[in-house]
Amino acid sequence: MKLLEYEAKSVFKDFGIPVPKSVLIRAPEEVAPHLAALGDTVVLKAQVDVGGRGKAGGILKADDADAVRAARDLFSREIKGLPVREILVEERLPITHEYYLSIAIDRSTKGPVILFADAGGVDIESAAQEDAGAVRKVTLPPLLTEVPAFLMRELLGDAPKDLAPVINRLYRVFREKDAMLAEINPLVTTEKGVYAADAKLIVDDNALARQGIAVNRDLTDREQEAEKHGFAYVELDGSIGVIGNGAGLTMSTLDLIEFYQGRAANFLDVGGGADQDRVQHAVRLVAGMPDVKVIVVNLLGGITRCDEVAKGIIAAGVAPTVIVRMAGTNEEEGRRLLAEHGYRMLESMDAAVKAAVEAAA
Amino acid sequence: MIYTDKNQGVIVQNITGRQGTFHTALMNEYAREVGGRGVVAGVAPKKGGQEVHGVPVYNTVKEALREHDAAASVVFVPGGAAGDAIMEAAHAGLELVVAITEHIPVHDAMRAISYAELEGCAVVGPNCPGLLSPGECKLGIMPAHLATRGSVGVISRSGTLTYEVVDELTRAGIGQSSIVGIGGDPVIGQTFVDVLERFRDDPQTKAVVVIGEVGGNLEEEGVRSADLPVVTYIAGISAPPEKRMGHAGAIIEGGEGDARSKVQRLKNLGVPVASRPSEIPALIRDLL
Repeated sequence: MKLLEYEAKSVFKDFGIPVPKSVLIRAPEEVAPHLAALGDTVVLKAQVDVGGRGKAGGILKADDADAVRAARDLFSREIKGLPVREILVEERLPITHEYYLSIAIDRSTKGPVILFADAGGVDIESAAQEDAGAVRKVTLPPLLTEVPAFLMRELLGDAPKDLAPVINRLYRVFREKDAMLAEINPLVTTEKGVYAADAKLIVDDNALARQGIAVNRDLTDREQEAEKHGFAYVELDGSIGVIGNGAGLTMSTLDLIEFYQGRAANFLDVGGGADQDRVQHAVRLVAGMPDVKVIVVNLLGGITRCDEVAKGIIAAGVAPTVIVRMAGTNEEEGRRLLAEHGYRMLESMDAAVKAAVEAAA
Repeated sequence: MIYTDKNQGVIVQNITGRQGTFHTALMNEYAREVGGRGVVAGVAPKKGGQEVHGVPVYNTVKEALREHDAAASVVFVPGGAAGDAIMEAAHAGLELVVAITEHIPVHDAMRAISYAELEGCAVVGPNCPGLLSPGECKLGIMPAHLATRGSVGVISRSGTLTYEVVDELTRAGIGQSSIVGIGGDPVIGQTFVDVLERFRDDPQTKAVVVIGEVGGNLEEEGVRSADLPVVTYIAGISAPPEKRMGHAGAIIEGGEGDARSKVQRLKNLGVPVASRPSEIPALIRDLL
């Protein structure tokens, strides 16, 4: 789950990474009493979870005299379709240089990877593409609790040495907060010292509970409902509902829909060993999406039993056409039940998907 | 066969849990069919002294190894404790850990796998269906009745999609040497490269099916290193671009994360890429 900038900065601050002085406001007038402490000019930053926030008009600069008006302006905007409910108002830093720093997970080396660039800011990606040497990259074994000095030297190059503690502190954040990504862009130097001018922190969804996060905000209501039932669920914008077991098989079903030039309404993986109840919930959930015309169910019974799946489909009793393909454990009984209730069963994944695409056309 | 054979005993960690109990029965049913040793002991902290389907339960892996000879374990320990279970198995001297558990925090997986590698222990998974060598041994949860013994190796990041492909192969009369589900998580122990090396050294295996997914470039790394004829299939061509993970994801993968460009890079390596699972048997037959 992605944290908002102010939440990430609060974590960074707890770990000793300097962040600008700031106040979080939920209404324009709330900024007034804090202006004296924030200096002559301030930066107002909309707390919305979008990339390219600055370019989309989510960041304003203002003099103290103008700050309330600027806040009112920003609260009235939508940033890439999202309403602005919270604004982080920060002191404006006298920046002398901007760097880029992030720590993520490298699949190939199965451990952390630290990225550092001498030129941070909004154009870091294009800079990295144009010049492979622009971003320095080191991987390290996950059992190390600190970045060794030789790797620190490799990362920093000619950059000031006082950035090193920030790198080690961000590495601590990364480890202790179960981060998938911890990023500071830009990491800035000023005459007063080093600051994280922006902050990004993505927490591993599998570690939310131990990080004390009760609700995954990245999910829509329907996605949260799905998560409660143990489904992996993503909403798309076609008219063919999809239910499968296992992420790979479900993804492959979606690919096959595209192959036959149809459009999927969703991705729903019921998970391993789904029983009648779970299947019934899954079918109802997908049938409840407004655009769904037909649902294709593709299940391969290993731990999952086909007769349970059939009972779940029948119990859901939904209006859109359900086309079923299932194979594996208790297949015969499942087929018999579905046939009794007049459901359409097809032998192969290809045939079932093709029929669904035709039915949705 | 690769990794292990029917003469090696297996330990099940968290044998008293629902999945552990259920699959211990299935693994031992398979072991009886093929004349293998199967699961010889189970582990569950504070539950030592019990029996599960006739298999004795111990508090720790070390205690189990004092009474039984085993080289591998299958981990059914739930998410937050699974990393610890993997390290326990490696520390006790097992050579192979198959981690079935899903939802392991990725930092736990990184540390446990890194530690296991230091101990010389290979980790398959996490979040995987395990390992099946038809006619030889089964460590994990794969439905064995879909498979049939033969000369094609299968490596996959998925579970049920693997069964789908194995089913297609079996129906087409193409048997399998070993089937390895390496797991779908961002950090896994044995990668395509590692398993392909084992297949290269396995006289039974003549060709390999590599079943990949969107994300990362482990499939390409594996195929590039393979000394065997390989057919690939990549799931997730139609997947919408992942919610962006800041700049770091894009910089690390250099825009290489999506399935379409992955397919293109595999084709550039001269490897046949099936556009759907049902095409795989014909492509394999061309290679054999």
